[in-house]
Amino acid sequence: MDYLIHILILALIYAIFAMGLNLELGYAGLFNFGHVAFFGIGAYVSALLCRAGVPVSLAMVCAVMAAAAAGALLAVPALRVSGDYFGIITLVFAEMFRLVCLNERWLTKGPMGLPGIPRPAWIAPGVEGMPAYLLLAVLTVAAVFLFVRILTGSPFGRALKVIREDEHIAQAFGKNIQHLKIKAITAGSALAGVAGVLWAHYISYISPADFTLTETILVLLCVVLGGRGTNAGPVLGAFAVVCFGEMVRFLPIPQEFHRYVAPLQGIVYGAVLVGLMLKMPDGLLPEHRRLRS
Amino acid sequence: MFAVGLTMVYGVFRFINFSHAELISCGAYLTLMFSSPPISWPLYLAAIPAVILTAAIGMSQEWLVYRPLRRRAGPIALLIASIGLSYLLRNVIRLIWGSDLLGFGLPAARGMEFGGYYLTGTQLLMAATAVAFLAILYLLLTRTLLGKSLRAAADNPELAEIMGVRMVRVAAAVWILASSFAAVGGILLAWDTNLEPSMGVSNLIKAFAAVLLGGAGNVWGSLLGGLVIGIAENLSVAIFSPGYKDFFSFGLIFGLLLLKPRGIFGITVGVR
Repeated sequence: MDYLIHILILALIYAIFAMGLNLELGYAGLFNFGHVAFFGIGAYVSALLCRAGVPVSLAMVCAVMAAAAAGALLAVPALRVSGDYFGIITLVFAEMFRLVCLNERWLTKGPMGLPGIPRPAWIAPGVEGMPAYLLLAVLTVAAVFLFVRILTGSPFGRALKVIREDEHIAQAFGKNIQHLKIKAITAGSALAGVAGVLWAHYISYISPADFTLTETILVLLCVVLGGRGTNAGPVLGAFAVVCFGEMVRFLPIPQEFHRYVAPLQGIVYGAVLVGLMLKMPDGLLPEHRRLRS
Repeated sequence: MFAVGLTMVYGVFRFINFSHAELISCGAYLTLMFSSPPISWPLYLAAIPAVILTAAIGMSQEWLVYRPLRRRAGPIALLIASIGLSYLLRNVIRLIWGSDLLGFGLPAARGMEFGGYYLTGTQLLMAATAVAFLAILYLLLTRTLLGKSLRAAADNPELAEIMGVRMVRVAAAVWILASSFAAVGGILLAWDTNLEPSMGVSNLIKAFAAVLLGGAGNVWGSLLGGLVIGIAENLSVAIFSPGYKDFFSFGLIFGLLLLKPRGIFGITVGVR
């Protein structure tokens, strides 16, 4: 039972993370390959503030704001380049963030990581607090989902889709592309920050090894599998990916083959990503498009 | 050498091939396979089938994934697929050879002194091999019909096709060249250092830096860029802590992309 709750919490956290990426990739068509950096910023800021004695809930809010601010700060210069280059800049940003965490030992303890991140006061630590944490995660996901829904249903969301399809058309309609993109990245980063905060306080231990390219690939898989540019898609994708990852543990695999499990899992993730692009580029829940007359 | 292959693919197909990193590792690991028991060929002989096989892997990527995708889908799909392929291949390598550091098992080379600098014989041989391969590439690009069509395709694929350049053949040539260069680069790298599944990725990011420094799609620029980065990175250790060695090249990419997206030489037309 506890294990089931654990899987649910992980899936919900990944759902938030994926919804953030979806705002950028699915709606605005920006390839952000450094999404994990904002997840990490959320996690680290919240953890460090808590360790400095700031109340947990205040630290959480500050961390989300820090992630959003970092997103906006990266977006302003990074959007000067487009397409593939934006992808590289964000990828490089994520790696730079990880290296800073790894090297600034006085602040982050480097590769040792930060242990003992407390949970909010009303949630008991350890296994007893898991149902309460699940409640927190569910409420957050619901709030985030509503937020994303309102955001994407608004003129803002539609303008982003136009930008994705053709920037010049959006420009011709008098949309400020740069502003819209920055807003999308800020919102996406804030959501990644929310996911990071939830994750740090749930696992209660973070280290730079948690914020690698692998996480980016996983969250990319969530979004692509579920369906880019839809609201429910990333949530579904996150559940599918997390459940698959955890299910592998239950397979009857002999002890001597255990070292093959992780690479095989990676092979499956990679193959699914390639296969989806080839056969089902819209994912499980295709975006609803009106036929052009 | 990594940068040259990367920039060739980018020059013709206009997309950044993330799985180029795994071609580097494939070259090194396949050489290891042919040079260790049960085959136990000497290293220079083992490198030949390794390069051929890597080129075959590169070709099959093009046939199975990239070509069908180019017809139907946009740049996002290509990029995502290349990331997926990269992850797939890396884990195949991990599956077969494990994640530990491996080496070719060569005896430690004695250093030779050149006016205060120490170089090993291996490093000299590496430099010589690299120069030889790049010379071949230069001749190929400038002196043959294939080279001409490659450059034409990089400049304007549609126009090249109208003028009777067979794009299918050009694409095949690009992938074979790019993956063999990746393989040779990987073998040289593994010769001097070690083999590990992520050896390609960490070096690919530096190759990006080299490509950007030289201007994307510009082969000679990338070559110079690679030299500059290699030297600058190692000099940076004198100022910053060694943990930030990679940070330096990342920072360089970051700055360059923002300030000079066309590369420091600003060459947009030239020998591609």
